[in-house]
Amino acid sequence: MLFPIRILTIVLLIVAGLAPAAQAANEKALRVAVLENSPPMAYRDASGALTGFSVEIIRALCEEMRVVCAYQVTTLDSVLDEIAAGEIDIAAISLLDTPERRARILFAKPYFRSISLWFAKPGIEPGQAKVRVAVVRGSAQERFARSKGWETVAARTNGELAEPLRAGVAQAAIIPMSTGLNLMKNPEFRQLELVSTVMNEPELGGDASFGISPRRPELKEQIDAALERIKRNGTYDRINSQFLPFRIN
Amino acid sequence: MIDRLTGFKGVRAGRAFALLAALFVLTFGIMVVLIAIDQQRVLDSTTRLQEQTVPEIIRFQRLARNLEQLRQEGERVFAAITPQARQQAMFVVTLVASHPSVLEHRESAELARQTERFLADVVRQSVRDDKALASSFEEWQRMAARLGLLVDDVSIQGINLASNDLGDVSAAMNLARIKLSVALLVVGVFLVLFLVLLRAHLIHPLQRIDQALSTLSVDQPLPAFKPAAMVEIQAVEEAIGELHDSLVRNEQARLALESLANKDGLTGLTNRRHFMQIADAELQRAQRYRRPVTVGMADLDFFKKVNDTYGHAAGDTVLRAFAGLALETLRQSDLICRYGGEEFAFVFPESTLDEAARLAERFRASCAEHDIRLADGQLVRVTLSMGLADASDCPLETALNQADAALYDAKQQGRNRVVAAASLPVGE
Repeated sequence: MLFPIRILTIVLLIVAGLAPAAQAANEKALRVAVLENSPPMAYRDASGALTGFSVEIIRALCEEMRVVCAYQVTTLDSVLDEIAAGEIDIAAISLLDTPERRARILFAKPYFRSISLWFAKPGIEPGQAKVRVAVVRGSAQERFARSKGWETVAARTNGELAEPLRAGVAQAAIIPMSTGLNLMKNPEFRQLELVSTVMNEPELGGDASFGISPRRPELKEQIDAALERIKRNGTYDRINSQFLPFRIN
Repeated sequence: MIDRLTGFKGVRAGRAFALLAALFVLTFGIMVVLIAIDQQRVLDSTTRLQEQTVPEIIRFQRLARNLEQLRQEGERVFAAITPQARQQAMFVVTLVASHPSVLEHRESAELARQTERFLADVVRQSVRDDKALASSFEEWQRMAARLGLLVDDVSIQGINLASNDLGDVSAAMNLARIKLSVALLVVGVFLVLFLVLLRAHLIHPLQRIDQALSTLSVDQPLPAFKPAAMVEIQAVEEAIGELHDSLVRNEQARLALESLANKDGLTGLTNRRHFMQIADAELQRAQRYRRPVTVGMADLDFFKKVNDTYGHAAGDTVLRAFAGLALETLRQSDLICRYGGEEFAFVFPESTLDEAARLAERFRASCAEHDIRLADGQLVRVTLSMGLADASDCPLETALNQADAALYDAKQQGRNRVVAAASLPVGE
């Protein structure tokens, strides 16, 4: 009589032990949003695979956290809604701190520090009348330009930021340093003969972080710890050297 | 020395050692706490090293890397073949010089700003004048050298951050080691102190007590103890004193009982049972060494009349007085015994029948003239009759029988006289 009860108990214990593990495996597949046309932070390489500084950093973090990450492509103007709606868990995009973002999503620890540059023909200064400024839609730069009452031309991605300038639709652009580095490599862009000035406004530079869904607050601690670890074990610096000419942290 | 050292006089051993143990635990506890504090310091320092200093060092290394990058981009500005390449390098110079990682370090920010300004000027001039690059190159080399030195300084600054923490750790460890040594020393000192006290106050006294107990006897005086510190030891030593007293008292009681058993209760003379033993021994001794010995039997004359006239108490007084007179008159070595009633037996060692007869006669004479004072003040006199017999060649009983027969003769012949067996009376 005792024997079957014991077996039953063991079976129950095993089932009880397995159930959370199975659940955890499902939960572990983190939904990560990345950009695809924002070199050198996020882009598709020659074979079409996603890569870039931000992409490789989130890959390293997923590996460090020992979680499976499912990547999906998004754009900067829609990512805030997606993450706030819980459609994605992590936005592996360099996000500068803005009040709107802070109100809707969680920020991980900063993973690098950025600056923004004013690109324009010589003589065209920020705030000058009748100057239309190209910015990426949904970016902190767009928010800044609008707050100043400047006329803006919004590009969908960082990769397309040079288009309004080239087309003459915009006379200037506010460009994050990484995008600027990439554009300066482009001979066509250089032919525009723009000059760059560093913009010292605090809202255009400083800490850039990944965004975390407010529905997954527990992720913040894990991501922060993993980021700390890859900064120490050299993974971070290797990725830095791979995509950018100097240390951006 | 130890007594003064510890002030243990009259202290219970349990309490004293408990006090010592408490003191030890307290001292050792304090040492442990002190060491624990050092360990905490080491832990804090290593945690700080891990959580603050290492990221800080990494930050310095990245800054050094950026300054080095700045120098390289500067070189590239001079080495560039095309104005485009020069512009690209200049752009990176601008970014590095404006990046927060450089700006947050005052010295680096200043030099980076100078470098950027210098290089920007060079690039601007180079557009107009091809020789501008060559003429500025010397100055650039000086600037590049300054950048190189700053790279070294920043690297070292980063490393030194760790040195401070590690110095702190090693200082704490050294302190902990010293404290540990002191703690071990304290343990050692306490252990030695404990052993010394144990030896002085327990082991030595116990050895003295053992010695005292093994030699304790009635014949030996009570061993003198040095005053012990421990109450328990004092108690045992006092108990030994009491034991010794009790042994002495028991011996006295034993002797008293023995003499009670051997003496006649009324007169204090040897009783008949004891007399028979010692007389027999005396006779055997004399016969072995062929020495003369004589026995005698005596009886108070008309003693019944004394009893009837003056009462039994008076009779007892007379018997006691007679016994006293006998002890007084006869020699020390002569054995005298109350044989029964008013009858007495004698052994005269080293005396022939004649010598004994002279002794007995002297005794008879002094008895006859001795006034005995009764309890009511009256004086009475008693006479005695005695028979003597030579005992140098016959058993005690035989000799006593002969003496008894001689006594009978003495009575027959009118009392108050001494008669030797198988001889004529020697006197009245």
